[in-house]
Amino acid sequence: MNAPRTIAEYLKQLRAALKGADPALIQDALYDAEEHLRAELAEDPQRSEADMLAHVVSTYGAPEEVADIYRDQEIKIQRALRVPPPPKRRSALGRFFGVAADSRAWGALFYMLLSLATGIFYFTWAVTGISLSLSLSVLIIGIPFMILFLGTVRALSLLEGRIVETMLGVRMPRRPPYPSNAGKSFWQRVGAFFTDVHTWTTLFYMVLMLPLGILYFTLTVTFLSISLAFIATPVLKALSVADVISLQCGYPYWLCDNNYWPLAVLTCIAGVFMLFATLHMVRGMGKLHGAMAKSLLVRIVGEDA
Amino acid sequence: MEDSSSHLKKFQKELSAGTVSLVLLAVLGQSRQPMYGYQIAKRLEDVGEGVLAGKQSALYPVLRNLEAAGLLASEVEPSVSGPPRRYYRITKQGREVLHDWVEAWTATRDSVDAVLQGGV
Repeated sequence: MNAPRTIAEYLKQLRAALKGADPALIQDALYDAEEHLRAELAEDPQRSEADMLAHVVSTYGAPEEVADIYRDQEIKIQRALRVPPPPKRRSALGRFFGVAADSRAWGALFYMLLSLATGIFYFTWAVTGISLSLSLSVLIIGIPFMILFLGTVRALSLLEGRIVETMLGVRMPRRPPYPSNAGKSFWQRVGAFFTDVHTWTTLFYMVLMLPLGILYFTLTVTFLSISLAFIATPVLKALSVADVISLQCGYPYWLCDNNYWPLAVLTCIAGVFMLFATLHMVRGMGKLHGAMAKSLLVRIVGEDA
Repeated sequence: MEDSSSHLKKFQKELSAGTVSLVLLAVLGQSRQPMYGYQIAKRLEDVGEGVLAGKQSALYPVLRNLEAAGLLASEVEPSVSGPPRRYYRITKQGREVLHDWVEAWTATRDSVDAVLQGGV
């Protein structure tokens, strides 16, 4: 590959060298490289861009070298700093109950509970923003308002990415796409907001989060409360037998009868199973949601920034 | 000849992979002001090649991961002359970790030195 002569060329080569890597990693690598190159350029404004890049290749690294470093580092450092994955369990029973030791299952559980709140917020924000932008567009303040709104959408996209990564364990970008606005006029920058597919997929995600949030929250709360209630039946029965509380017994009548203890214990065991099944369910939903968030919130690589 | 230089390269790479987090944490621990990536790279360039056997691009992923681990904090600030810069500073937890790391490093260095000088 021939030596890059401009920053844009360097970044293009870096992107090509990172082809096939995690999109979130590519976004971070491009951000870092651009920050470094622009700092190097600002350091000595007299020097031409091509001279600066010739120097950079020996200090910062040629695009292919940088790509290798990022691939390497990502694996090594994540291994060193991340919580070790739970040990693999062989038996089916071990795998079933092992879910309780998986921090991702608990993270996903909290994400599902939180998703109602974030879903309502994102939806409200997106719908309010879109409708105000449209209705104000007849007035002079419409355009600035719309730009401001789309700016907040980008910030929220990054924030949601952080939440998804922390709770669901899906690698998301830690840096926004670098604002590559150098040499562009104000109107071109504004135009970039509208032509960027990423803006629209993020908006779509925000709107989608309301129905999804409701679904996640309802499913999780329902299964969680049913299993906890099942687990608590022996306690309820014991209290009823000891006349601490008096139950109005209709159906299920066995709950009040002094016999039928085995049934209460069985219900309790079923509750425990259901609780673990719920953890499996939220972990699965978390995985799906993470994949979806990644495809909608992370810029597609190769697309011109 | 070719073989021995590739061995050296591999060894340097492993050494730098093991020490780069310590070095970055130490640089930010000593600095009074928050520093940005390019500034840290230049500071290390002055110290010599030894610290960073590889390229400066290796710094940024490490900085980011140290931040993710809560040892560093960062914020973006627009600059007058150049592009916006991300400034890193060490956190309280980072200082505690640095202290432990320095102790571990000193112990390792002393025992390696002792072996190399034939003290065993």
